Amino acid sequence: MTFEQKKHLHYQLLALTGEVDLHNSPQVRKQLLDIVESGYSVIVDFSALSYIDSSGIATLVEAYNLAKNNQLSLTIVGATGAPLQVMELTHLNKVFPMIDSLDEIKG
Amino acid sequence: MSMKRILHVEHSACTSQLCQIRDKVREACHVLMYSDSDINLITLVIDEACTNIIRYAYGGESGRIILEIFQHENEAIFHLQDFAKCIDKSCLELRKTNILEPGGLGLQLIYQVMDFVQLLPPRGSVGNILELKKHLPKGSQNDL
Repeated sequence: MTFEQKKHLHYQLLALTGEVDLHNSPQVRKQLLDIVESGYSVIVDFSALSYIDSSGIATLVEAYNLAKNNQLSLTIVGATGAPLQVMELTHLNKVFPMIDSLDEIKG
Repeated sequence: MSMKRILHVEHSACTSQLCQIRDKVREACHVLMYSDSDINLITLVIDEACTNIIRYAYGGESGRIILEIFQHENEAIFHLQDFAKCIDKSCLELRKTNILEPGGLGLQLIYQVMDFVQLLPPRGSVGNILELKKHLPKGSQNDL
């Protein structure tokens, strides 16, 4: 798993590549929480993500709750395949804002 | 009809091994002719079960995990064996109700995806065997 972080005016983008599991989800957690704690909304790019397990999902939920408590947002973009199936299975696709493309983002 | 073993692998109970275990599960599920969608879900469930063994059964201590996959009539049977202390069957009870609260998500996914979940008695004096079953796709049992 690798990730890339980009700052934008109103949000930060965290693009995940590969597979997120118990082995590397602590890295994702640190990145996500750091972004939210620095006062930015976050967009998590799933376009190149091929797998995510419950530890990765729990990390997203934690960051989502923290963002919400700070009047910020956490949005997921480009989820397909196995990661989208996990989101649907857990019904988190109805909790998190999910968009198909970054073109849908303003700012 | 006897049980046909599709896979037998042994790994150290370490998070760095999860990626290799997932690859082997995917290969075995292809042999069993599951759809891509089912392969994703079964791989997730086996990964979650291994994760629970690493986190809770071994609790950070070193150990081994044996994964066996069998085909029997119209079912795939997955056995995950560890050599940690025997766990209570109550550990397999679902408690979680709110997805936004921490804990229990892995077990919830296991029950959602699999048709049958149970703990088998250990083969020796220690350890646990988690048995998971899932119906095979129509037609595959005749072709294997």
